[in-house]
Parts: sequence; structure tokens; C-alpha cells
Amino acid sequence: MKKNSSRRKPAAIITAFLLLLSAASILCLLSGKSGNDYAADIFQDGILIKSIRLNDFSQTGTFTVQGKNGCVNEIEVRHGSIAVISADCPDKLCVHQGFISDSKLPITCLPNRLVIRLRPVSDSPQTPAAPDGVTY
Amino acid sequence: MSVRKTAVLALFATLSLAIFAVESAIPPLVPIPGIKLGLANIVTLILLRRFSVRDALLVLISRILLSAFLFGQALSLLYSLAGGLCSLCVMAAVMGLLQKKLLFLTGAMGGLTHNLGQLAVAFAVTRTGGVIAYLPFLVLSGILTGLFTGLCAAFAGKLLPPVPSDVS
Repeated sequence: MKKNSSRRKPAAIITAFLLLLSAASILCLLSGKSGNDYAADIFQDGILIKSIRLNDFSQTGTFTVQGKNGCVNEIEVRHGSIAVISADCPDKLCVHQGFISDSKLPITCLPNRLVIRLRPVSDSPQTPAAPDGVTY
Repeated sequence: MSVRKTAVLALFATLSLAIFAVESAIPPLVPIPGIKLGLANIVTLILLRRFSVRDALLVLISRILLSAFLFGQALSLLYSLAGGLCSLCVMAAVMGLLQKKLLFLTGAMGGLTHNLGQLAVAFAVTRTGGVIAYLPFLVLSGILTGLFTGLCAAFAGKLLPPVPSDVS
């Protein structure tokens, strides 16, 4: 490998860079905020339309959210968790995500521009998040 | 560009479109937007190694436009372009640094920057900081899927016949 030394250094740097990034990501994922009193903020088009304190629910409840293009998401709330149980968008990633009960990942449905995000009740509502299955 | 080269590049564009179409038919394994194998990147890597950045760019743009017209939503075009162009630039630079060897490292950098580019567009589209929640997932999946496509490209590249001299 001696004759290849001109590419060994960049290769080592790139490998180290990638390993470092991976390690940082794994750390980020492991050290997510924990707690168990969550409120679910439901955003549409970046606007907070509903905020539900999940531990106030002892029974199951459902409601629907209609988007501007006539898209509909049906949302179910249980004690401590929330999910989109049906949607008329094509890929239904939000439905497949199932019930969420912590703040690590929001449920998002970009076709319907809907975001459901959990936050510890002690925090104030903040910005919504991201897209849904539009990566090509 | 010679007719022969145009035909060869068109074949590569068709190939990557076919790979892309097949991959789209695979249901998502993880319920997180942005996580996919990105198999069409294999073609980009092979082109970068065997041909030039310009040729890889031509094929990439053709594939993205065709796939957007054939199966896309309006937004998917923006995401593909951002991801594809980011990763192409970085892969071209990295491939040069590594003298076209260690293709899996190039692939990993490409996968990573592809996801970062898309995340940047997601940030621009939603205009919120919340998308950052996806960053660790996208970084990890980009690196891993990029390693995979890089290895695929290295193996596939060995099986391809050499480029005829009047094409390259």
C-alpha cells in the first residue's frame, strides 16, 4: 500500500469523519428526552390547531383533521399515546408509525401537511416538524 | 458528444430509472421519511468512476426528471434534485481524493450528503427547526445505505466490460 499513500490520508480522514458522525448520531438517539407526562401538539401548515394532554385521557377517543386539499387524517388518542389511524395520502407512513408515546420522533404527513409532536407538559408548544415519505 | 456515447449514457439513464422504479415498489421498512436504499446511486457511482462528472450529472438529471414525470409528486422533484446534486458534488470530490478506489467510502459520503441535502430542503419547505429531529436517523441511514450502494457499485463495476475507446 506504500505507493498509494497519497490516497491513504484522505481515506483515513473520511473514515474517521464518518465514524465520528455515526457515533454522534447514535449518542443523540440514545440520549433523547424522557419523561412521561406529554402533551400532543397537532400542527397543520405549521399552525397549532390542537393541543392535547395525553395523560388526561383514560379512554380512547378519535377525531379527524381535514387538510386544505380535502385530505383527511383520522387521529386516535389513548392514555399516554397518540396515532394517526387512517389517512388518505398515498403512502400512509404516518399510519404505519403507529402510536407514539415519547418525544423522539414526531408523526408527520407532508401530503396533508400535518404534524403531531409530543412535548413534556412543562415545555411550551414549539415549532412543528418535517415531511413524510417524499424522498426520491 | 458522439452518437455512440449518447446511446451508452441513455442506456445508463434507463438502467437507473428501472432500478429506481423497482426500489419504489419495495414498501418502506422503517416509518421514517427519507430512509431508503438509494440503489439508483449505484449507477451514478459507476458513471463517476468510468466516465466523467459531466456524464454522471447528465444521467442523474435525466433520471430525476423522468422519474418525477412518471411517478412523482411536485415536491419529490425538489427533494431528488437537492439530494442528488449534493451527493454528486461530494462524491466527485471524494472520488478524486481517493483516486477512484475504495468506492464504499465515496458511496457513504454520497448517501450522507444526499440525506443532508434533502433535510435542508425539508427545512426550507416546512420553515421550522423541528426537522432536526430526523438528523441522527438520516445521518446513520445515509452512511449505511451509502456503504451498501458503494459496495454494490464496486462489484458491479468489476463485471462490466471496459468502456470502448470511442465512447469515453
